[in-house]
Amino acid sequence: MTYATNEPHLVVCVKVVPKPEEVRVDPQSRRLDRAGARSEINPPDLNAVEFALQIKDRFGGKVSILSMGPPFFEPYLRICLAMGADHVYLLSDRLFGGADTLATTYTLAQAVRRLEPVDLVLCGEESSDGATGQVPPGLAEWLGYQQITLVNDIEMDMSRRTVRGRRERQGGYEILEVPLPAVISVKTGCNEPRFWDYRLKPWAFAPERVTVWSASDMDVDPEFIGLAGSPTQVVGLEQAPSRERKRIMLSGSPQEVAQQLAARLREVLPLVP
Amino acid sequence: MTQVEHLTVDDARWDTLFERTRGAVALCYQCGVCTALCPWGQVREGKPLSVRSLLRRAQLGVPDDHEDIWLCTACAQCESLCPRGVPVAEVFQSLRGMAWEERRVPKGLPSVLWSIYWNNNPWSQPPSHRSRWAKGLEVPRFDPSEHEVLYYVGCTAAYDRRAQKVARALVKLFQAAGVRFGTLGDEEPCCGDAAKSLGYTPYFEEIVQNAAQVFAQNGVRRLVATSPHCFDTFRNYAPRYQADFEAEHYTQFLDRCLSEGRLRFSREVPLRVTFHDPCFLGRRNDEYEAPRRILDAIPGLERVEMARSRQDALCCGGGGGRMWMETSAGERFANLRVQDALATGVQVLVTACPFCIACFEESVKAVGAPNLRVMDVAELAAMAIE
Amino acid sequence: MATSLYGASEAQDVICVFLEREGDTLQRVSLELLSKGRELADEVGWKLAGLLLGYYRMLPLMGQAFEVGADEIWVAEHPLLKTFTVEAYTSAAFQVIMNRKPSIFLCGATPNGRDLAGRLAVKLRTGLTADCTDLRMREGGILVGEVTGFGGGVLALIKTPQHRPQMATVRPGVFPLKPPRTERVSRAVEIISVTLDEAQVRTRVVEQVVGRGADITQSPVVVVGGRGIQGRFDLLRQLAELLGGEVGATRPPVDSGQIERERQVGQTGVVCRPKVAIVCGASGAFQFTVGIQHADTVIAINTDPEAPIFETADYGVVGDALQIVPALIEALRNSRVAVTSG
Ligand SMILES: Cc1cc2nc3c(=O)[nH]c(=O)nc-3n(C[C@H](O)[C@H](O)[C@H](O)COP(=O)(O)OP(=O)(O)OC[C@H]3O[C@@H](n4cnc5c(N)ncnc54)[C@H](O)[C@@H]3O)c2cc1C
Ligand SMILES: Cc1cc2nc3c(=O)[nH]c(=O)nc-3n(C[C@H](O)[C@H](O)[C@H](O)COP(=O)(O)OP(=O)(O)OC[C@H]3O[C@@H](n4cnc5c(N)ncnc54)[C@H](O)[C@@H]3O)c2cc1C
Ligand code: SF4
Ligand code: SF4
Repeated sequence: MTYATNEPHLVVCVKVVPKPEEVRVDPQSRRLDRAGARSEINPPDLNAVEFALQIKDRFGGKVSILSMGPPFFEPYLRICLAMGADHVYLLSDRLFGGADTLATTYTLAQAVRRLEPVDLVLCGEESSDGATGQVPPGLAEWLGYQQITLVNDIEMDMSRRTVRGRRERQGGYEILEVPLPAVISVKTGCNEPRFWDYRLKPWAFAPERVTVWSASDMDVDPEFIGLAGSPTQVVGLEQAPSRERKRIMLSGSPQEVAQQLAARLREVLPLVP
Repeated sequence: MTQVEHLTVDDARWDTLFERTRGAVALCYQCGVCTALCPWGQVREGKPLSVRSLLRRAQLGVPDDHEDIWLCTACAQCESLCPRGVPVAEVFQSLRGMAWEERRVPKGLPSVLWSIYWNNNPWSQPPSHRSRWAKGLEVPRFDPSEHEVLYYVGCTAAYDRRAQKVARALVKLFQAAGVRFGTLGDEEPCCGDAAKSLGYTPYFEEIVQNAAQVFAQNGVRRLVATSPHCFDTFRNYAPRYQADFEAEHYTQFLDRCLSEGRLRFSREVPLRVTFHDPCFLGRRNDEYEAPRRILDAIPGLERVEMARSRQDALCCGGGGGRMWMETSAGERFANLRVQDALATGVQVLVTACPFCIACFEESVKAVGAPNLRVMDVAELAAMAIE
Repeated sequence: MATSLYGASEAQDVICVFLEREGDTLQRVSLELLSKGRELADEVGWKLAGLLLGYYRMLPLMGQAFEVGADEIWVAEHPLLKTFTVEAYTSAAFQVIMNRKPSIFLCGATPNGRDLAGRLAVKLRTGLTADCTDLRMREGGILVGEVTGFGGGVLALIKTPQHRPQMATVRPGVFPLKPPRTERVSRAVEIISVTLDEAQVRTRVVEQVVGRGADITQSPVVVVGGRGIQGRFDLLRQLAELLGGEVGATRPPVDSGQIERERQVGQTGVVCRPKVAIVCGASGAFQFTVGIQHADTVIAINTDPEAPIFETADYGVVGDALQIVPALIEALRNSRVAVTSG
């Protein structure tokens, strides 16, 4: 690959998700009922967009938004344009439907290939729906790119063609550096995404800002996409026990209460004694 | 005046500001009354909010990245006596608007706008929980063929557990007065006051327009709001967007219910209270008497005035978007206002705005006045029924 | 449908657990997975293997793995495996798996475990059930993983019927640690040689800092003090340290200079997303609770039974935080001793 300029091409993977608290499992059909649920951009993906825009503020270059999903994603993705991104690529086709992480990462990777030269692919740490967190490493593997996951700060060096990411570890942090091109996943809430700019909005909503690719527009092997390309199968769905606060009152002497609290802490905090 | 020569003057900036304030910024003739009246002068010794000089800089088109433009609480103290009728708070909002365009905004504020965008409220609360405040109460969905008014709860009363008590008290009062009312439940739109106060006007306009549309679709002709901030938006801004409904603050509505004999207070509430005029009810909308008449109708209740009241009431510090910005401990107007209340020797500091309640309750603890309670007019009124 | 690199017919009747090390011991989650793996393997009469990658001092780690139930350990030793890099570990694990062809491959859902599993699944062209909260074995050696989605509101059961290995990552703490076993039928160590190329490993660790206060917004545990703790942040700090967390505060202690402004939690402070927030001596004002609403679990300690904080808590204790916090520190210290000596 030759790089004509020092201006990076940044690709941000953005998913549109239903508001988690509005999704139900229909007790009869055992299917997901997300019909009435409002959608939003997966929150950490906005943090990823913000990092990309900060890099663009500093080095120039361009920010492409990449998403795989149904056509209704489109207006949401345009919000990223109104924040300052340059173009949206939406991969939309019935054939892409029902994809698990293997098929999703394959499809996204084929799109990134088509967008090359690419310097950095940014993802959120995980989606609020599937929440596997496996898309960033899977994408990196298909592409043969380096990866740093779960970072809360990044720094690009365009002259050395490297990127550094800071990630928290137990009781401290580490800074990793990898050569470009690379895939980064960012922690939820690690920066404050800029609000969309009303001056960009009319521009962002012009039709030509979004390119929709169907399976036939892309170089994809039909065996690797959508339901057909997904080795995993969902065999059951259930509503989880309530997400509301439990409001359980513990009582006893300070020592007794402390024992009970320690037990609760052990349940929810596996890494401590 | 020699300093002025060092400043870079930007004509385009001036033009923009002139346009956005519809010429109002030009009116100022630099008398300085505003600086003298602004409450920031009472909490920031030696470095008041120099309204006059900020206006001068604005008139000159000096690019202003001064953090002071974020201080204004939109209390209208200065506006009420400005000899030139300058809408100072709006000028500050316009300056903030330019700061947004230049991406020089205090941390945390973009998140407030995002929250309105995704959640339909500035408090980062789930939109599907909006009507939870009414749990266990009989609160029907608004139906124009059945209901005389829409009760507009507003984001703060819907989500802030303290302010929810006010909304619940109001429901009790409406029911006692036989008011046929409904709410829009989870579909209730945000009024956009936060976006307006923080100066992101184009988005504010979108929000109000949307709200007006939702009201029209639901056949709303009259609404009653919990918060003076929502009331102010709907009364003074919505009409700019062809809105076809009337907005009232709940104190005005209850006051009418009293005078029409629909609402009667029968129980004694033997408390000594003083009423604090919320800026957005008093100075901004000239409503000083309705809340007082309600309080005076409560049997056994004794009401006294603070030294500064009505037009001179001191702001709580929560307007102008300050609810979403940190104010250092020594600079909270509410601390002074609580002292004003303590000086009257009352048991209860009464107000009629959820922002005032939040600010005062915190200050009551900060100044160590455990015996002074902070209550809403609606809560006292609800104590006086059945 | 595309196939994995090896299919069910070639796969061996083995469950393989990735053994993640932490200095000279195995990570607890690896032991938890061996415990569970033993149980699953026994249900279908399979073998349980541990996959150990590294360079030196591997023996004590193997001992630990055998104690919790492994039948065999597959070891790959290489200088490039001395510390974890996703490139070297993925490549080595891939080579071992292709050599042994296990039916099931399990890995802890730690940051490194997720990195490894995510890449490995793609390399092997197989299915990965991520972040499981339970595992069950079905007829014919089909693994069903329970996962949560939609902010924890939905449980899904997921399997990989045809592709091999069936991969899953499991959150730490999901499975209990079984007591060590003394009797073992076989204890086989198999050394598998892997080829790794230095040029492949391109991740550079620029800096690793331990003990420097992590950002409170990222911390897995936040212990918050309100006005009610009367400035005793020293106590809260001890508790936070024990739990690997950070100390936060409501606005009043910040106002009175007991703690830095950066640690104020709430509307005009920071919003944190910990696994656990322990809130001591705070009344629970709305401007504060918006800062902890994303916490998975909230524990509240307050002397006032009417305090609104209890409405937004999972576990509430009516009592004096200045007595309960020291008792809790004591209880946690004692149990730590119990775990390491037992
Ligand atoms: C409850 C539930 C559980 C599931 N469990 C599994 C499972 O165990 N194994 C499995 O293989 N599949 C699983 N799936 C399917 C999985 O959600 C989809 O494959 C999805 O397309 C990608 O995974 P994710 O949402 O977990 O993404 P994550 O890996 O959590 O997302 C990380 C980041 O990747 C990017 N990204 C993810 N999806 C897209 C997209 N469509 N377009 C653009 N960028 C994207 C975003 O930046 C996102 O922040 C599950 C789905 C549900 C609803
Ligand atoms: C615009 C604005 C913004 C604000 N932003 C924030 C913010 O970002 N963050 C924030 O925290 N606050 C904020 N506040 C303040 C907020 O409204 C509350 O005043 C504040 O959170 C109260 O703090 P607290 O609970 O520590 O104190 P208090 O309300 O005084 O509560 C102290 C509690 O401690 C209990 N207690 C006393 N002794 C003990 C003991 N020995 N053991 C256990 N419990 C005991 C008491 O029962 C009481 O419930 C803001 C307020 C305003 C107006
Ligand atoms: S009071 Fe009015 S005219 Fe006088 S300085 Fe202030 S804004 Fe200008
Ligand atoms: S509106 Fe109030 S806070 Fe703003 S400048 Fe005028 S007096 Fe000061």
